[in-house]
Amino acid sequence: MNFEEILNLFIQDTADTSVGLIRPELILCGTILSLLFVRLFSIDRWITPSWVALVGAFVAFGFAANDFMVLKEAGGDTVQEIFTGLLIFDRFTAFFRIFLLLFLVLVVTLTILSGLPDLEDGPDFYTLLFGSTIGMMVMASSNHLLILFLGVEMTSVPSYVMVGFLKGKRVSSEASFKYVVYGAGASGVMLYGISLLAGLLGTGNMSLIAERLQMISSSGEPIVSGTAISVMILMVMVGLAFKLSVFPFHFWCPDAFEGASAEVAGFLSVASKAGAFALLVRFALAFSAGDAGALQPTFLYIGLGVGVIAAITATYGNLAAYMQTNVKRLLAYSTIAHAGYMLMGVASVIVLMNAPGEDTAAATANATQALEGLLYYLAVYLFMNLGAFAVVAFIRNSIFSEEIEDYAGLISVTPILCVCMLICMFSLIGMPPFGGFVGKFMIFASLFEAGNIHWVMWLILVAGGLNTVFSLFYYLKVLKVMFLDPRPAGAPDVDVRWGSLPGFYTMLVTAPVVVLGVLVQGLSSTAQNVASVLFP
Amino acid sequence: MDYQTTGETIKTLLTLAWLLPLLGFAVEIFAGYWQRDRLSKAAAQMAVGCIGLGFLFSSWALMTYVQATGWNERYEHESAHHKELVAAIEEGKPLPGHGHHEEGHGDGHHDDAHHEHEEGHHEEKHHDGEHKAEESEKQTAITPKDAALAQFAIADPIAAEKPDSEHAEHAEHGHEEHGHDHEEDAEAKHEGPAVFSGVYYRLAKFGDLEINIEYYIDTLTLVMFTMVTFIATCIHIFAMGYMSDELTDEYVDHEAHYANGKHVHRPGRFYKFFAFLSLFCFSMLGLVIAGNIFQVFVFWELVGVCSYFLIGFYVERKSASTAANKAFIMNRVGDFGFLIGLMAIWTTFGTFKFAEPDLAHADKPAGLFQMIRTPGGELDVDEEAGVVYLQDGHGGRLKNDEGLPASMPYWLLVVAGLGVFGGCIGKSAQFPLQTWLPDAMEGPTPVSALVHSATMVAAGVYLAGRFYPMFTPEVLLVIAYVGAITLFVAATIAMVVTDLKQVLAYSTISQLGYMMLGLGIFGWAAGLFHLVTHAFFKSLLFLCSGSVIAACHHEQEMPKMGGLIRKLPITGSAMLVGVIAIAGLSVPGVSFGVIGYILLILGLLFALFDIYKRERTKLPLVATLVVVGLMLSYTGLANAKAAFSGFHSKDAIVATALTYFKMNPAHLLLFILPLITAGLTAFYMFRLWFYTFLGKPRDEHLYDHCHESPLVMTGPLVALSVLAAICAVGGEGGKLFVMLSESAPAMTHAVMAGVGSTVSLNLPGHIDVLTNHSSAGNLATIAAVTGTLIAFVIYGLGLINPADIKSSLKGVHSYLSHKWYFDELYDTMFMKPAHIVARFCAAIDKYVFDAFLHWLSRATLWISKWDRLFDEKFVDGLVNLLGAATFRVGGSFRKLQTGQLRQYVMFIAVAVVTLSVVLFVWFPH
Repeated sequence: MNFEEILNLFIQDTADTSVGLIRPELILCGTILSLLFVRLFSIDRWITPSWVALVGAFVAFGFAANDFMVLKEAGGDTVQEIFTGLLIFDRFTAFFRIFLLLFLVLVVTLTILSGLPDLEDGPDFYTLLFGSTIGMMVMASSNHLLILFLGVEMTSVPSYVMVGFLKGKRVSSEASFKYVVYGAGASGVMLYGISLLAGLLGTGNMSLIAERLQMISSSGEPIVSGTAISVMILMVMVGLAFKLSVFPFHFWCPDAFEGASAEVAGFLSVASKAGAFALLVRFALAFSAGDAGALQPTFLYIGLGVGVIAAITATYGNLAAYMQTNVKRLLAYSTIAHAGYMLMGVASVIVLMNAPGEDTAAATANATQALEGLLYYLAVYLFMNLGAFAVVAFIRNSIFSEEIEDYAGLISVTPILCVCMLICMFSLIGMPPFGGFVGKFMIFASLFEAGNIHWVMWLILVAGGLNTVFSLFYYLKVLKVMFLDPRPAGAPDVDVRWGSLPGFYTMLVTAPVVVLGVLVQGLSSTAQNVASVLFP
Repeated sequence: MDYQTTGETIKTLLTLAWLLPLLGFAVEIFAGYWQRDRLSKAAAQMAVGCIGLGFLFSSWALMTYVQATGWNERYEHESAHHKELVAAIEEGKPLPGHGHHEEGHGDGHHDDAHHEHEEGHHEEKHHDGEHKAEESEKQTAITPKDAALAQFAIADPIAAEKPDSEHAEHAEHGHEEHGHDHEEDAEAKHEGPAVFSGVYYRLAKFGDLEINIEYYIDTLTLVMFTMVTFIATCIHIFAMGYMSDELTDEYVDHEAHYANGKHVHRPGRFYKFFAFLSLFCFSMLGLVIAGNIFQVFVFWELVGVCSYFLIGFYVERKSASTAANKAFIMNRVGDFGFLIGLMAIWTTFGTFKFAEPDLAHADKPAGLFQMIRTPGGELDVDEEAGVVYLQDGHGGRLKNDEGLPASMPYWLLVVAGLGVFGGCIGKSAQFPLQTWLPDAMEGPTPVSALVHSATMVAAGVYLAGRFYPMFTPEVLLVIAYVGAITLFVAATIAMVVTDLKQVLAYSTISQLGYMMLGLGIFGWAAGLFHLVTHAFFKSLLFLCSGSVIAACHHEQEMPKMGGLIRKLPITGSAMLVGVIAIAGLSVPGVSFGVIGYILLILGLLFALFDIYKRERTKLPLVATLVVVGLMLSYTGLANAKAAFSGFHSKDAIVATALTYFKMNPAHLLLFILPLITAGLTAFYMFRLWFYTFLGKPRDEHLYDHCHESPLVMTGPLVALSVLAAICAVGGEGGKLFVMLSESAPAMTHAVMAGVGSTVSLNLPGHIDVLTNHSSAGNLATIAAVTGTLIAFVIYGLGLINPADIKSSLKGVHSYLSHKWYFDELYDTMFMKPAHIVARFCAAIDKYVFDAFLHWLSRATLWISKWDRLFDEKFVDGLVNLLGAATFRVGGSFRKLQTGQLRQYVMFIAVAVVTLSVVLFVWFPH
């Protein structure tokens, strides 16, 4: 096979298969281009960039949804490696594409309603937003350590700019700067880990990692110890932990969220986490897929470690949120705490997958269930967190403040926003009958299941339960101010009524929180369907 | 047309007639609510349109039935046979065709069967199977002759007990049922009258119990539909005129006052009135067409609610709202019994459906009537065990799950019957729940006419008739006595009240008592016959009184009226027709033709008189006399007995009562009371008419301002008076009676006897009744004429001053004018004890429970004081410690977040190194 043939094969593969399967990403790229052209040829005088962006996001979402439907109807566990194995296309990918693009649509709508980017900034902002989203989608479908790194960077770099998008504000610029430096540090560590791992295994293809690790560890005298492998994995995970704002790599988060506008904070808190979780799950399953043999205890302990980190993260987030006076900062800590909860789900996936014993079928089923819980939680988290940030954005537009004390007595001015905030926060706490409860319940259930394998998971479960109690207070503090405190005389009015578009938007985003808390079956069966594809 | 097509046609028509008023209601209530002002008559036009169309559809349905079943011929033949029988009885000859089972207890329709017999179809007896086959082939219309053949085809001893008419019907749908070659087939389908029933829609299914919207159509349904829609149409039209003062945006109610003594001002409620009338019609028709007892109950309550709305139409008047409440609550008392009956039925039978028409399909469960009565109409009683065996509708006993014959305790059947009858007592204002009806006269007069004379109160009688097969002899005896007491009590009160509408109210109660009595003494057709005739003349009377009241500016006291015939000639004459009808007057031995000639001669005389005086003042009178005279003399009426509808129906009841008394001498009261009351009825009705229309005006002011009502009100009066006069022409050989008796339950022809030795009754059959008919008729006529004469002497001629009688019979008068002290009695019996119990409960509440609670609260306070100390010193201290610790930790976390970028980056390195170290330390090696 000479080079030309290889080239031909490559072109054929790319043109015939691969390109067709990344249509949503391509559409987003096209939208970015048209946004730039709109600016370049001054078409934005006639067409607002935000509408171009919205249409682009919608079309991409439509294609992604179509892809998912086709896959779902086809049944079976279709797993397709594309671009010579750099990316992977399966239900998991498709699900996250839908998830991210739906979120993109909602965020674009939110920015249109709250008027975050003005006409001048529009193309810039949406270019960054779309670029970041493409990065997340790449993260969700990555099948290679290289792409893993690329995805994280592609997500991060536009995020840095978006955080500093409020150019005039010193806080914003400072936050952006911190984020960049911190991100660079984390990326450095991750890249180090990746190079070690790829060098050791001779490949960056994640579907081969498990196999190669097996080879290394089972060939008589191991070339490297389990501990060394763990350190490599740990270093890769540091990069992801940075994206997930997991303790102790969370320091950027409160500063960045406080500096960024609420819309961007909402976007980062949900979308980049979703992408990072997708990647984390893929990465975690890459090394623990199949029979890990001698390395099984190692992976089990990695899972426990992740769980412990998760518990610490949740506790840290919740406790630190107590003292906050700024709503966005408070939500930033809440984001950290929720990352902790979700990381518990990942931990139980890893632990359940590496359960000692022969019963792989049971292990797979349990792990599927744990992953299903994680996906459910993510889906609910999308709505409840976006809802909370949307309320913050709309209120900011009227009262120009994000301090909790300025929220006093808002119920008398804008009941709709307050009620939506209440629903979102109750859901964030995890109270029935809202979606947050169901998600948390599923994750805790998987923790309990994992506790049968190692008792540490039960401790983590206890920590999770305690954290739910901790979190009650600071959410309720906000609600108490909004609902029970009197509105000070002369406080500015918030003009968001039932019929207004912002009010309608908030209700639209909040409604699924309630629906997912009551009608669990639909999403949970989809989530299970999606999760099962990762466990062949 | 075959059975199915005919049935479907009739069903469709009746359904339309039933649902149209509902549509009307919906449109009226919403459109009325949204209209700008209260000046539009559209609601009334809509309501009249709906109910008028309903009447058209109903009569169309009736015509369809008559045509499709060849009913006219059947009727001719029935009528001829009736005459033959009457003639035979009068001449003392042996009765035709009653040779071999004369000794049996009376059984109304044997004669028909035997009549056929005489017509010489003996040979058909042997062509049983052949005929069936023929039937199933034909599937076409079958003439009465064929019907007779069909009937005879199964002329076995059991079948011979069946009424003739139903056989005609069964022959009609022969193709359907003969198609199944079940042996029991022949028996199974002969247990009841011709019925077309089925399910509109299934609402719910609980286990075996289905809650359906069903229809059950027989001639009773058809007649009721036509009667109700016709009367309702008349009343709707009348109300358009009567209620026209509501057509205003500011109605001043002179009888209702605010706290400050001013009259109530409110927007007119014209549209609401008609909306409720429409809803009422819908409910009543739904009740009549209902195919199961549960559905009956639903519409029963709907009727009750509508009457509540309508009685309390002038809700601002205290008397009206109280009356509405009273009517509603009294009805609830009766409905309590109804509910008990329903429960008893449901637990025993597991179904509410009256009858299953398609029993030939063996998997279908039988209906109530089929379960409780054998095809012969008898109860299958085991006297020793005191149980009734349920039937499977195929002539055998119903098997329960263990394969044993299913049975129910006899007493439970009695309870069920009494319970359902309890509902009838409430709705039909029977003793002892009769007191609500007179109070209900607070509603506008058209309401009284529709709701409280012809239809709603008729619902009770209708249900008693419909549910007849479920009543045991004991229950029937109770019904009879309740009816007898009611009719007498109400009539005595009616003699002394002076309010125009109150007299009519009491007469209504009294007449309803007649109907119940008729049903109770086994005169099923007689009772329902009276129901229909009464509906006509009573609505006529009420509308007339409405016309008088409207003319007299809402004056209702008869002593203030007098001489009104000169001012209100049409109303007066129409009312006279109604009065004669209800009084049951007749001219013995004279036919309508003769009366017609007399009227013609009278008209001629008046005309001559007019010509002589060279004026035209008597022209309308002459014209009326001539038209009526011609109609009477030269139409089908000419040969009929000169009596109005009320005579025939009451006569039928009195005759049955006489027979019943002769057969059961112990129950003398059941004959004496109706007979006396016949006289009382004539007295108080003529008293009313004489008081109002004859004599000198007692209140000149009133008289001067009085004026005849417009055409929209007098038109319905004329229409109704025609029907009130002639609807029952021919009496028991007449169309109406024959039509009704086609629906008579099989049991009315069967031999019945009491069970469990509680009662032992001989029940009168048709022939027995006929035998006693003339003597009963004479007695009743004498009573009525006497009553009329007394009334004439006192109130017409004024020979005796009523005040003298009043003072000489002071005790009796005050007793009667206090309505037998029923209200006071109930007050003492129920209200006062209830108040005492309530006060007692309140005292217990206050001095026992409250005291305990107060003690408890003091104790709680005391404990909480200590608890608080404990809490503040100990628990809070602990919690504060924890809280402080949490906050300190949180605060220290905050310190960690220094905002120093240097430190942040350092933290990455530190964290990675730390984690690695931890891994090395913690990791298993």
